[in-house]
Amino acid sequence: MSRVDSLTYILASILSILYPIYGAIQFYKGAVAWWLPWICGEEIQLGVKVGDAYIPNIFPDPFSGIILIIIGVIFARSIYLSKRNPGLADGFLFVGWILASMMLILNLVVLAADILDTYYPLIWGGEIEEPWTLGSDPWGISPHLILGIIATPIYSKIKPLLKQLIP
Amino acid sequence: MANVKRKMIKVALAGNPNVGKSVIFNNLTGAHQHVGNWPGKTVDKKEGFHKVDDRVIYIVDLPGTYSLTALSVEEMIARDYIIYERPDVVVDIVDASNLERNLYLTMQLIELGANVVIALNKIDLAEKAGMKIDHRRLEDELGVPVIPTVAPKKRGMRELVDKIIELAEGNPRGHGGKTLCYEPRVERFIERLQEEVASREKIVQLFNPRWVAIKLLEGDEDVIKKLSEIEGGEEVIEKGAKLREEMGRELGDPEVAIADARYAVIKGIVSRAVGELKRLTASDLLDHVLLDKYLGIPIFFVILWWWFQMAFIGSAPFCDILGDGFAALGEALTGITGHPFIDYLFFGEYGIIQGIGAVLSFVPLIMLLYFILALLEDSGYMARAAFVMEKAMRKVGLSGRTIIPMIMGFGCNVPAVYATRIIPEEADRLVAILTNPLMLCGARLVFFSAIAAAFYGAYAGDILFSLYALGVILAFIVAIILRKTFFRRRVSPFVLELPAYQKPSFKVAAVRMWDRGSMYLRKALGIILIGLLIIGILTATDAETLTFTTDPERSLVAALGRSLAPIFTPLNWDWRFVVAMIFGFVAKEIVLGASAMLYGAGEEEIASRLASLYNPIDMYGYMTFILIYIPCIVTIAAIRQETGSWKWTAFAVIYGLILAYIVNLLIVTIGHLLLG
Repeated sequence: MSRVDSLTYILASILSILYPIYGAIQFYKGAVAWWLPWICGEEIQLGVKVGDAYIPNIFPDPFSGIILIIIGVIFARSIYLSKRNPGLADGFLFVGWILASMMLILNLVVLAADILDTYYPLIWGGEIEEPWTLGSDPWGISPHLILGIIATPIYSKIKPLLKQLIP
Repeated sequence: MANVKRKMIKVALAGNPNVGKSVIFNNLTGAHQHVGNWPGKTVDKKEGFHKVDDRVIYIVDLPGTYSLTALSVEEMIARDYIIYERPDVVVDIVDASNLERNLYLTMQLIELGANVVIALNKIDLAEKAGMKIDHRRLEDELGVPVIPTVAPKKRGMRELVDKIIELAEGNPRGHGGKTLCYEPRVERFIERLQEEVASREKIVQLFNPRWVAIKLLEGDEDVIKKLSEIEGGEEVIEKGAKLREEMGRELGDPEVAIADARYAVIKGIVSRAVGELKRLTASDLLDHVLLDKYLGIPIFFVILWWWFQMAFIGSAPFCDILGDGFAALGEALTGITGHPFIDYLFFGEYGIIQGIGAVLSFVPLIMLLYFILALLEDSGYMARAAFVMEKAMRKVGLSGRTIIPMIMGFGCNVPAVYATRIIPEEADRLVAILTNPLMLCGARLVFFSAIAAAFYGAYAGDILFSLYALGVILAFIVAIILRKTFFRRRVSPFVLELPAYQKPSFKVAAVRMWDRGSMYLRKALGIILIGLLIIGILTATDAETLTFTTDPERSLVAALGRSLAPIFTPLNWDWRFVVAMIFGFVAKEIVLGASAMLYGAGEEEIASRLASLYNPIDMYGYMTFILIYIPCIVTIAAIRQETGSWKWTAFAVIYGLILAYIVNLLIVTIGHLLLG
């Protein structure tokens, strides 16, 4: 196994653990907030507090939680197949990387949209209701963005596949 | 100078899209080409010629198709040209790096009886991908000549021209390839019917009997129509229908069985001609994952979720800017005419400017939804999504492709109705259009979210979820009923050629977005203006004096509500709910605002006000009514446009009303019986 392969599969292993962990927490928080609000408990976060915000910020959304779990399963499947069928393992790695990148882009779009939504009244001289802060943003820097960044180096492994697909 | 009469050879170029057909056409014809249209169609027809010694090779570039099943205009053109124009040679351009997919068309060309020569193009890419194709073996397997080519480098062009001349002069007509036998269970039916067809001279003069037999077993309507016009055709059609029925009982859907058998033949040929693949191609790998038995559907839902989040969140600021802009415009223009009636009608809280603003503020969302959809389509993924959902959808009488408009319907029914255009079969498409308004769109969510929070507190999420689920379940039930009554023809089998993956083009996506989005804009604005004008006049007109009033309770619309109220008494509504429901006909978001106005509360307080007047069972019943009843006016316009029929448009409205009433009545009656 080459150095790139080793690094890729170490990253994929980490992601196959982190995605389901963050996904499960997000699902739990979302399910409580949306459907079982009588369940009280400590605010669960698995990140670093910077100012008033957690990085990554696990916002309550059960569906988003399921999405993260599915991406984790895809990475886990690529690890599982890496010895048995390396070609197919690359296929799962490829799809996992694409989905991870899509989530990263989504989080960036959400942040840009939220900032624009807060400040657009200034365009015609209006006033803003409340300034945007990372802490006040419902998504903030979420696991989608952080895990997407962690997945970025996998690109070096899937680059030949991508080139073959889109010459 | 002596007048030399040149010998003409007629050649058709066939092949899948993006296989390098145009490059080969240009290589062969150079400057001697002409671009026009196929008679009566808007599909480009490219023709040109190539001179070799005393011969002129006249070349027609057929539209790129994945098969010859006559599902699209392109397929019909290609098929009819080969049947009726009888080219001396058909050059089938095959992408060597995607052999399996490309040979599907090749096999159909051979079955059609065309004099085929294969240009095995992109052979360099196939070799780079680790494939070693034994083209001689491929020739033996298919019984037609195979010339390896690399079109951009003009490799193999000379050999191709030589082979065309050889074929045209040595074997000018008739079946070039050998009979490619299907698995015995399918072959048995083909042979039985083939014998019947072969005994009809008039048919044999025009068509290859084996091809006719296969097409009749597939239930190809175009072939049936053509045969019915030929002497002896009716008997063959009848025999075909019987055998098709028998085959269906034995092997399941005949079209699917034949497609499967055809792929099995191709798989065998590829495995022998290509031998052991060094590794799977990237496209194969991606298909293995995206069509995975267990993860295919979850991956589809991840992509759907991403698509909706991107569209809804990404467009939110632009929707808000437009909404605020129109609100400010309405405010700024209030009083400008000096005439209270016109002011109220155009600039009032429910005036035309506000109505137009409500519609236009959704434009960024719709455009972004379309843009992302176009990117996904262009990448080749959406065909895979439809494929993974096929099985589940077919069980309820819906085409696999219906999943896309259904999911779009959760955002807005208008683009969803337009999106049904991806369903090729008319009956499948009509069922998809008629059931789409049952999907809980974003507009209805405005009312439901506010009411659910006030009435059901901690259970608000469950209530919303139950409404989503109710919409989907009812759509499935209605689809089953429609299939058993009006559209008895079975759901057309999903013989889907998966297109090659490609880098999506932003330019193509932008053009497609504008095409679809501008259509929404034009139609929506036209109809909504008329609708708003009518409702505005009714609201601003005193029912007794027929003069201007700002009191909705005295208005014509209130009179209408009161007159209709007795119909809704069994549902425990008062006239205000009737009026709010009528307002919702223009746009479902208005139900909340209209209720607020009629109950004398602001949009903020309306939920708690209603909570003090109604019990949760009656309110849930009302919510189900709003979920199911007639689609909003813009959706109705879209349904009219897409069905091209007032009959089906009226059907969508009437069945929605009846179904809504029945469901509401059941909920109220059973709910009160059980819970008191």
